[in-house]
Amino acid sequence: MSIILEQLLNGLTIGSFYALIALGYSMVYGVMKLINFAHGDLFALGSYLGYTLLVWSAGAVSQRFGLWGGMAAALLFAFFAVGCVGVLMERVAYRPVQKSGRLPLVVSALGVSIFLENLIMAVWGPRYQAYPASVVPTYTISLGWFHITSMQLFILILSFVLMLILYYVVQKTTFGAAIRATALDKEMATMLGIDVGKITLFIFFLGPALGGMAGVMNGMYYRQISFVMGWNYGLKAFTATILGGIGNIPAAMLGGLLLGLVEMFGAAYISSAWKDVFTFLILILILIFRPTGLIGEKVAEKV
Amino acid sequence: MKKVWFCLFIVFLFVLSAGAVAAEEKPIKVGLQAPITGQWAYEGEMAKNSVEVALQMIQEQGGILGGRKIEIVVADDASNPRDSALAAQRLVSQRVAAVIGTYGSSVNEPAADIYEASKMIDIGYGSTAVKLTMAKERKYFFRTCGRDDTQGQFFSEYAVGTMKARRIAIMHDNTTFALGVAEEARKALQEYLDAGVAELVFYDAITPGEKDFTPILTKLRETNPDVWYFTGYFPEAGLLVRQGRELGIKCPFVGGNAAINEDFVKIAGIEYAKGCLMTQEPMPTDLDTPKAKRFLELYRQRHNTVPTSPWPVYAADALIALTWAIDKAGSTDTEAMLEVLRTGMEGCEGITGSIAFTERGDRKGIIYKMYVVTGEGDMVVYQP
Repeated sequence: MSIILEQLLNGLTIGSFYALIALGYSMVYGVMKLINFAHGDLFALGSYLGYTLLVWSAGAVSQRFGLWGGMAAALLFAFFAVGCVGVLMERVAYRPVQKSGRLPLVVSALGVSIFLENLIMAVWGPRYQAYPASVVPTYTISLGWFHITSMQLFILILSFVLMLILYYVVQKTTFGAAIRATALDKEMATMLGIDVGKITLFIFFLGPALGGMAGVMNGMYYRQISFVMGWNYGLKAFTATILGGIGNIPAAMLGGLLLGLVEMFGAAYISSAWKDVFTFLILILILIFRPTGLIGEKVAEKV
Repeated sequence: MKKVWFCLFIVFLFVLSAGAVAAEEKPIKVGLQAPITGQWAYEGEMAKNSVEVALQMIQEQGGILGGRKIEIVVADDASNPRDSALAAQRLVSQRVAAVIGTYGSSVNEPAADIYEASKMIDIGYGSTAVKLTMAKERKYFFRTCGRDDTQGQFFSEYAVGTMKARRIAIMHDNTTFALGVAEEARKALQEYLDAGVAELVFYDAITPGEKDFTPILTKLRETNPDVWYFTGYFPEAGLLVRQGRELGIKCPFVGGNAAINEDFVKIAGIEYAKGCLMTQEPMPTDLDTPKAKRFLELYRQRHNTVPTSPWPVYAADALIALTWAIDKAGSTDTEAMLEVLRTGMEGCEGITGSIAFTERGDRKGIIYKMYVVTGEGDMVVYQP
């Protein structure tokens, strides 16, 4: 029983990473109808930026503000820095080609992805980097056979809080209504007096920023980061987005968490070597039987 | 008549000098196929550095064929089999004299086939899979590193004989290399299993590139092993040890020779890395040949550090073996070089000791050792 509970928690933890990244995919798709392939690399960039802040002058930040303070600083730093990169990316790579149709946009996104991956390699080197033990709080909370690490608990709480806030903002506020309206029909939204430019800016800040934050959490949880990690997580989160239903924010959260659980239980009870097979099997099945995802666009339109 | 002779003599002189000039000006090109980018980029970089240092050492000792220049042509195989084939074709089309490379066994395989078809000598430096030399006969393939079965056998004998372990767990990652070591360890274990002194309680694979191994580790924990052998690579090994210890797996961890390096220590964290064991060839810093000392000295001068895995040194040895063969053969004629590599290696001293090959192309006389990670994160030879 305790093993099932542990697997459940592990699945939810990895699912929260997928969910936070999936949110960025989904939001950007909503306003621009673009699968932002660079999103996984923004996630990787986030974990490298958080790492840099934490190891900067021998962990000065953590010494000054304590372990949890240092962690908060790294999270916020990655949040804002990656958010700004996201905005810049939209200006430089997406806006100029937006009018030429969807294919040039996708190609541009792939270009940004390759650029970011190689940028990370050029700046931080091809070697694996590791968040040093001295900057990550590591307590294991054990109740008999049942273990949970402080980091895991923190990640679960923070991601759920973030998702709740986002859910509230998007579903319950006027600004959120404007975001949803833009996602539904850009021209109509413009006619109704919504500043679509501002919404786009906001989305391209928030999506990557959440991804960047997830990157720092991922780095702290697994401690190991590499410049190629973005691709794998990007692909998984993309699957999660499709699973939930693209363009719909609660659906992305659901898709991420669900995917994490499926992976974890599949690996635990069937075979670990087949983990990725489950992920992509789900992608294929969903695309065949429910191309709109579990929570299709209908729910989004109902509001 | 005299005039004719004189003219002929002049012509002869011209031909001679022209030949000499050509020989002097045209450097001997030696290919180096290595993972300069991709997941093993770090190994590729060290291999390139090591080959350059070895080249400097060879030139210090007067070079080969009377001081002809040697040029290293690097081809990047990006740590994957597809780019490996492209890299091999590129080197073949550039008409290098012979090739050093490459690191990963699964990456080496397609390249070795191309070199074989192009009749080009290829000396692997990190590809230890048994099947590279044993599955089919490759006339032009050699390697300066050892072979997986030796390492797997070493583990099984050590675990049962020295560590007195009864319940043995073996984990791999389905890559040619890791699967090879694991299979060989299992084969060597068979006689202990038959004798009833040991039990193989766990034998399974993880997915390389993953980050979360808690499901499989939970399964491993249930089998309650005395020793846990992982034959894959360090990025996963570091995470496995950390996550396994956090799940409460307390038995000794033994990594294969690709599992433990300083990055492993960083990823696992020193508190968990300490005491982890590893089966492997001696590290460059544990080599005590005179050439090894000079090699490390030069490497430090150039790069301010030393190679942190055993493999780059084998790349350097590959260059030493090749230049030896060219020098003995007197030319870069492939068949003549082959003859030397097979039968004329007596006296060829590499950085890891004397170099000679079996008729299959494997290196003769490779030794393995058990290493342990110290509290400072260094790897030292293990003394139980």
